[in-house]
Amino acid sequence: MAGSENSVTVHSEWMEYAPLIILLPMMSFAVILFLGRVFNGHPFWKNTLKEGGLIALPVMAASLILSLLLISEFLKGHSAFDSLFETIPWVNTAVWNGGAATDSVSLGFGIYVDHITVMLLFVASFLCLLINTFSIGYMNTDPINDNRNHRFYAEFVLFCSGMLGMVLADSFLWLFIFWELMGLCSYLLIGFYYERPSAASAAKKAFLTTRIGDVFLVVGLVMLWDLFGSLNYAVVFDTYNIEQVAAHSAGTLQWALGLMFIGAVGKSAQFPLHVWLPDAMEGPTPVSALIHAATMVNAGLYLVARMFPFFGADALHGDLDDLAFIIASVGGITAVMAAAIAFVQMDLKKVLAYSTMSQLAYIFTGLGCAMYLANTLDWHHDKDAHYIVIVAFGAALFHLFNHAMAKGMLFMASGSVIHEVHHAHHHLHHHDDHGDDHGDDHDDHHDDHFDAQSMENMGGLASKMPITATAMLVGSASIMGLPLIGGFWSKEGIIANAWRVAQDDPRFFLPAACVLIGAAMTGFYMSRMWFMTFAGKPKNEVAAHVGPTNTWIKTPLFILTFVTLSSIILAGMGFTHWASDTSYSFLSERTLIEGIVYEMDHAFLNSDAFFFILTYIAIFLGAVVGPGLAMALYGGSLAEGETAKPWMRPVLRLSAWMNGRFYFDNSAFRDSTFAIALQNRLYIDEYYDKAMVNIVAGFSNKVAEADSEVIDGTIKSIESGSQSLSTFVRSMTTGSARDYILMVSVGTLVIFFLIWGMA
Amino acid sequence: MDDWISLPLVGFPLIASVVLLAFVSNANQATRDRLASPIRMVCLVFSSLLLVVTTGMFFQYFGNVSWEGISFNSYEFDHRYLWIEALGIHWAVGMDALSFPMVWLTTFLLPVTIIATWNEKNGATYFPIVLAMGGALIGVFVSLDLFMFYVFWELTLIPMFFLILMWGGKDRRYASQKFFIYTFTASVIMLLGLITLYFFQDTSNPMIHAGTMTGRTFDIQTITSHALVENSNGNWYLGANIQKVLFVMLMLGFLVKLPAVPFHTWLPDAHVQAPTGGSMLLAGVMLKMGAYGMFRLPLSLFPHALQYFQLTLMIIGMISLVWGAIVCLGQTNLKKMVAYSSVSHMGVIVIGIATMQPMGWAAALFMMFAHGVISPMLFAVCGAFKHHYHSMEIGAMRGMAKHSPWLATSMMFAWMASLGLPLLAGFVAELMVLIALWYMIAAEGWSVLWMVGPALVLAITAAYYLWSMQRTIFEGGDETQPPASLHGEPVPDITDSEKLAMIILAVFTILFGVMPWIALDMMNDWTVQIFEGLILPILGNFNGGA
Repeated sequence: MAGSENSVTVHSEWMEYAPLIILLPMMSFAVILFLGRVFNGHPFWKNTLKEGGLIALPVMAASLILSLLLISEFLKGHSAFDSLFETIPWVNTAVWNGGAATDSVSLGFGIYVDHITVMLLFVASFLCLLINTFSIGYMNTDPINDNRNHRFYAEFVLFCSGMLGMVLADSFLWLFIFWELMGLCSYLLIGFYYERPSAASAAKKAFLTTRIGDVFLVVGLVMLWDLFGSLNYAVVFDTYNIEQVAAHSAGTLQWALGLMFIGAVGKSAQFPLHVWLPDAMEGPTPVSALIHAATMVNAGLYLVARMFPFFGADALHGDLDDLAFIIASVGGITAVMAAAIAFVQMDLKKVLAYSTMSQLAYIFTGLGCAMYLANTLDWHHDKDAHYIVIVAFGAALFHLFNHAMAKGMLFMASGSVIHEVHHAHHHLHHHDDHGDDHGDDHDDHHDDHFDAQSMENMGGLASKMPITATAMLVGSASIMGLPLIGGFWSKEGIIANAWRVAQDDPRFFLPAACVLIGAAMTGFYMSRMWFMTFAGKPKNEVAAHVGPTNTWIKTPLFILTFVTLSSIILAGMGFTHWASDTSYSFLSERTLIEGIVYEMDHAFLNSDAFFFILTYIAIFLGAVVGPGLAMALYGGSLAEGETAKPWMRPVLRLSAWMNGRFYFDNSAFRDSTFAIALQNRLYIDEYYDKAMVNIVAGFSNKVAEADSEVIDGTIKSIESGSQSLSTFVRSMTTGSARDYILMVSVGTLVIFFLIWGMA
Repeated sequence: MDDWISLPLVGFPLIASVVLLAFVSNANQATRDRLASPIRMVCLVFSSLLLVVTTGMFFQYFGNVSWEGISFNSYEFDHRYLWIEALGIHWAVGMDALSFPMVWLTTFLLPVTIIATWNEKNGATYFPIVLAMGGALIGVFVSLDLFMFYVFWELTLIPMFFLILMWGGKDRRYASQKFFIYTFTASVIMLLGLITLYFFQDTSNPMIHAGTMTGRTFDIQTITSHALVENSNGNWYLGANIQKVLFVMLMLGFLVKLPAVPFHTWLPDAHVQAPTGGSMLLAGVMLKMGAYGMFRLPLSLFPHALQYFQLTLMIIGMISLVWGAIVCLGQTNLKKMVAYSSVSHMGVIVIGIATMQPMGWAAALFMMFAHGVISPMLFAVCGAFKHHYHSMEIGAMRGMAKHSPWLATSMMFAWMASLGLPLLAGFVAELMVLIALWYMIAAEGWSVLWMVGPALVLAITAAYYLWSMQRTIFEGGDETQPPASLHGEPVPDITDSEKLAMIILAVFTILFGVMPWIALDMMNDWTVQIFEGLILPILGNFNGGA
């Protein structure tokens, strides 16, 4: 285990700078915000510094470089670093357990690096830099963002620092602190176009939905703290401590981890807390890329991956399998549900949003299965079991990597498409001078007449935007898991492991079936998206006028295309064997070529007949059935005279052929109740809204009423009661001597009888 | 050395205020208006000097006191001289790690309040009254004599009463009277408790500071040390029944001040009608008098009764927390919502106390402090909102981010701080209370359901703050017009002095959120001292161990 006996404290000079990975972006937040406030609109600030974009860029680059140095140091050491610098005692306090003295406890901040950290650190810092590059090309060329991009870049860097901090923190407490920081930034960025009611409501929804998950997370953390007396990884993952806890409170531990998992469900947008993610598309596209690829949604996965040492602990053997099942099932259900909803989306970004949800669900399923295996197999002593566990865990983490790269690329590419469609729209109407109804277009960039995100306004863009189309093609292929590309290497692993577990534990047939069906569904909706956007003839005049995009946007697309395509190399390097286990060297002992050959062999010529067949079923579903159906429905060749790049031509030709040969009318499905339900997101949002409005708002209004009527009413009646009492008393002051004499005599008599009676 | 320093801390603001008020009392309106600006400056400089002094005390520049390691019932900067010998009344002052943060907070909020309400009308009388408020509040926190404590306790009502009555909103007359009578009634019950406490002292036991005529004393230090002895070995100081009754009487006075549900309805009325400066001091420091009083008197004197009433306190805390939060959700008035959020946050303090854990108590102390920094900012935002848009209704003004970016930023910051965003001051306290609560639940076998309330409130708090921001900061595209109350004038942003106050408050909110140890270490030390010096010796052996 990554317990303290294995961990080493390394004092290399780069380690001392590790906090800068977090601090640099955090400080530049203040700098950009301040400079933006002061120099807003100044030509130098606007054109040369790109309203802060060129301050953020070097900062993110520095973070990436420092991260890479840290990672390389780590890889030399091959084991977990507890604390790279002295832990800062943050909160010092004490508890009393009924004994003769109080026990002091401390919550501190430090940095912790292990295999999981390394993976996410790279993903986050690398993608943040690329998205930053993209943003300069995207945000600064749209007049609607004029003079407020400093806000975007400031919040952007704060978001990145939140993610980097979360990954590097050495305790669940600081994980949570940075986690909330990200929540804040997502709120600010989703609500970037604050004047739009839809954005305002989406921002609120995102924050509130994740907050509901966070509530459970906090309770889980508090319970965990109670069990271990600390939230530091070094303490809670310590073998001895886990043994102590396992002896008395394995059940409580499972509850604590389960509650923490609900936090992850909220953050990573899994059913039933998924509703915020599609709405989060209200933010600018770079924000979508940031949330969906580099940061926010990975946070939930990271949290669950962090729990791995509990599942893998000998002392807890077989105690946590229920939770593993829940994790896998939530993943499985979400995978299918999100994919189904993605079928009917017309909005380019919404398709990608549901695809994110679905792919994250795959990773959850993968993690759940890996954890089940780690929890039920004797993997510390049995070499084969050990191999199974680390491959299962590795598949999940590698899918996180592949998905992040592909999804980052897809969002940026979609942003580029939207950006250009948008510009074409303006360009067209600017020159056409159709009449009054378009006269104000330049002021109101988001008018109701035209939706630049709708795929109904695209089509045939493959020839107009070759780099974007290629990036999108590769990204989609990676998500679909087309053989040899990107996500294939990890997705197959997840599916295989789900079925492996299902053989042990029949409950797991549910997630296993879900991920298998999900493969076909992914194939369909991702291909549908690509063909609707890039294949066929332009669906309207705007799409016919789209031009190529700028360098700031192209560069990250190019880099990510390359990374996604070279996934096989990473797989060969041993990325598929990733585990939080210090006894396993994560870089393969084989040479690169051997590794690649091994991975190929393992993937396509599995010696186990069951997995051999399973692999080909999955490939058939994901790479033939799904895309085939999409081609038949939405494929088509480009318009006359338009040519695509040579590597896209076969795809387009094939789709045109499929479309001509197998096209069928699917309007019956489109009008079915089920499809309408899908379009309405299965009415889940509606139910939530209703619950909010009727139950929560209704109840709180009643309580507020009770507060003023009953509680304050009581006080007021005491007030008026004492007033009328005093009025009554005052009324006895008549001023008449006879009355006074009467009262005095009555009083005297009463006193007399009282004394007499008492005596 | 420097032991006399509390005397000017209390006396100077009061004297200065009286002098300034006397100075303008006979002047006509024109002279007052002319004098407003210099008086404001005098008050600002004066209160800043107080801040310099207390800050110097923190940095050990004055007195060389580290504020840690002060054992229970010992005080620094203590100073005592006989006042009314016959009754055993002293001018007794002193500070420990319980009162010092509150004193610093008061001196911190005075200049900030003056800056935030720089342009308040009738400044010639307003600023001296604010100063007097500060003096009275410091007096409460440094008093070590029951008599003095009560005098200052009631003295705080007077400036606040006038602040509400003379600078308040439409229903200020009703609100100020309600505020005064409500809290005064509670104080009378407390006074009865204090006098009973005085008379039930055992005169056969010679006491250091006893009076010549009564043989009894009002000296808190003497009473506390006496109670410590009498409470030991399973005995109850003053006997079980009297201790319980006294505990209830004192707690009642403090719970009304805090305020805890169901004694809270004076607060929203007072806040809504009070001027911004009044609200800032009311929420920032005055509410904390209740919590401070609990720690200083009932908790220190009657640990047995505390243990006896632990469940009751927990219930009161939970109800305040949840009820306050739910009522917030149903509010349409911005300031009322913020006022109820204070009720909810004060519930956290009561829960922290009811956990009977050092961590819970330290959390309660830190909550007092953090809320003292955050809530003035909340009310400063409300005040600016009202000042500029002439309305307090949520939804009266939308798209503030566009029209008033500074106000929008301040509002979002304050709201986020209040809903417990990590790295801002409030989070630490909330987290510690949760941990302490769960620790107590697990150790003493309480029901897990006690966690439901606090957990629920984490979500509810976010809900009402986000909901109100959506309708103020956000939205307001082209179709939403500025409120009619502006009569078509351009929407203004906050003034420079308001900006400055917001920035100061925000900086300190971040400071205490990122580096909570600055204040928390001494608070934690105080709780450890009181537990090891008082609670453990008295309750430890008889608690049977958890």
